[in-house]
Amino acid sequence: MSPSVSRHLARRLLAYEADAGKNSEPPESAAFRVCEKLRRSLCSLAGVAGFRSLLSRALALARAEFPSLNTLQVSADGSLKALTELGPQRDNGLSDEGGAILIAQLLGLLLTFIGEGLTLRLVQDVWPESAFEERDSGKEKKA
Amino acid sequence: MSVQDRVIINKLPTGVPGLDEILGGGLPEFSFNIIAGAPGSGKTTLAHQIVFANATPERPALYFTILGEPALKMLRYQQQYTFFDQAKLNNSVRFINLSQVVLEKDLNAVLEEIAKEVEKASPGIVVVDSFRTVVRKALGGATEVELQAFIQRLALLLTSWQATTFLVGEYVEGEIRDNPVFTVSDGLLWLYQAADRNSIVRKLQIVKLRGQASVPGLHTFRITHAGLQAFSRTLGLGGQQRKIPSTRRLSIGIPELDEMLGGGIPEGDSVLVAGASGTGKSVLATQFIAEGIRQGDPGIVVVFEERPQEYAERAGSFGLDLETPQHEKKLEILYLRPLDLSVDETMREILDAVQKIGAKRLVIDSLAGFEMALAPSFRTEFRESLYRMITALTGIGVTILSTVEMTESFTEFPFSTYSISFLTDDIIRLRYVSIGDQLRKILTVIKMRGGNHSKDIREYEITSEGLVISDGRLTDYQGLITGIPVRLSGPGQKEEAARPPKSRSRGRKKA
Repeated sequence: MSPSVSRHLARRLLAYEADAGKNSEPPESAAFRVCEKLRRSLCSLAGVAGFRSLLSRALALARAEFPSLNTLQVSADGSLKALTELGPQRDNGLSDEGGAILIAQLLGLLLTFIGEGLTLRLVQDVWPESAFEERDSGKEKKA
Repeated sequence: MSVQDRVIINKLPTGVPGLDEILGGGLPEFSFNIIAGAPGSGKTTLAHQIVFANATPERPALYFTILGEPALKMLRYQQQYTFFDQAKLNNSVRFINLSQVVLEKDLNAVLEEIAKEVEKASPGIVVVDSFRTVVRKALGGATEVELQAFIQRLALLLTSWQATTFLVGEYVEGEIRDNPVFTVSDGLLWLYQAADRNSIVRKLQIVKLRGQASVPGLHTFRITHAGLQAFSRTLGLGGQQRKIPSTRRLSIGIPELDEMLGGGIPEGDSVLVAGASGTGKSVLATQFIAEGIRQGDPGIVVVFEERPQEYAERAGSFGLDLETPQHEKKLEILYLRPLDLSVDETMREILDAVQKIGAKRLVIDSLAGFEMALAPSFRTEFRESLYRMITALTGIGVTILSTVEMTESFTEFPFSTYSISFLTDDIIRLRYVSIGDQLRKILTVIKMRGGNHSKDIREYEITSEGLVISDGRLTDYQGLITGIPVRLSGPGQKEEAARPPKSRSRGRKKA
């Protein structure tokens, strides 16, 4: 799986979570939801420390591409959190673009370590099949 | 209690070729086992092999990882083995990391976490890797009694939930005594690894297995891209029924030698052909195998010093066609030359070939080559292993002809440098003899366990038709077996000059 494919997969997961999270209270970014679902699944496999290391590395790689991700950090339990002093007006520091880059980096690390087959299996265990189907997003319709 | 009243213990496959036979049929279902050994000995790979061989969506395997090899790295490496089925991940095989619980909480919390997962998944197989970590952690804060109680409760839980359990741990042999883990366990599989000169030797031992008879002793194993493969000391022939002794005599393809042998080699015998380099041992062996194929006996030739193609071509130069029977699956020429093979592994290859084509005749050419193909440390076991293989194969009616090279001596007449003549039923000795200004060849039958044989010393030559025995006898010489005979010329001595061997003009024989 090439980096562009992992980014494509990341975008699909984000699109799915964006839809699913429309009615959630409090509203949270799709990227947070994707990270959280991956955390729950991967902590079981790799342990909290294992997942935290992986997400920290993904965040470091993603920051190089998208500096505004500097507003995020990985907490002790492996969850992603925004630096509090920046406040909610910055979308928790995780825009669609930044979120896609971060998730793609995380998936990319999994691909590097355990290969495409196992990575896809792990992801498919977390999301329903519909999450991987092509979605007609509003943006695509406009285009 | 009658036999039918006894509980039947199901045996699970290990997924490791050869290991089920060593275990006495497989792993006892619902047993509580330990896989022990030093780092790098193959414990985790063995556990994975067992897991993938048995896990199903209905009875999944739970693989608890604790502070040892990080789970992602473990998956990274283990998926390289052919037994690793990616489709089973999270469906039939579930990896659960308990590192946090072990680090932050006590033994009760560990047990609770395992119990929670076990009750949720109802697994058929449970692995805790590394259990040693749990024990170390426990010993840091718990008393020995608490540890024993924990192990007892864990065993009870997993057995009650009908799981077959494997605790993987790095142990050294001295730890077996007074260790509650070993006391509670039903089975203890110990993996060893040692470097010997330039070779790595891996062995395993079933130290303990309740409820069934495993094969005792150390068994070699190998780790390849397919995972572990074990080679039983009994070569898998332990339970095989011995064939009723045959009265059939097998022709060696040389009528005069058949006659000397009392009508041929008794079927199921082990024959040793001993002689110096160039005396024709391999030629004789080839004639034996070719004659067998001609008579409908499939055969195996194990060569160590030349490749199968070269062997077949050389046989062709003596008018023996070994190509056609190979195509017809009546003959297999095995070339074994890796220098770090274990004896049992080599024997396994031979046995597989014998069983595959139903071989009745087996040629090992030569024992010296066989020994050299082994890892250095296995050479000390050579005689014992050879004995086991010969006994097993001849027991099922295979007739074995082995060649052994002798250093020619003109002061003694040894039969074998390997002191393996006790392994053989029959010995044919080939040697050079200096007569006049020629170096000629003589042969004699030294021993035949199955009966009478000719006491003659016969001259022979290696011709384009193979080994051909002269018509006459060298009766006018004394001390032939010294290699430097003395011609007898006194009155009354029978003068029967050896005549050169006659050409049989049989043309190229289709074996």
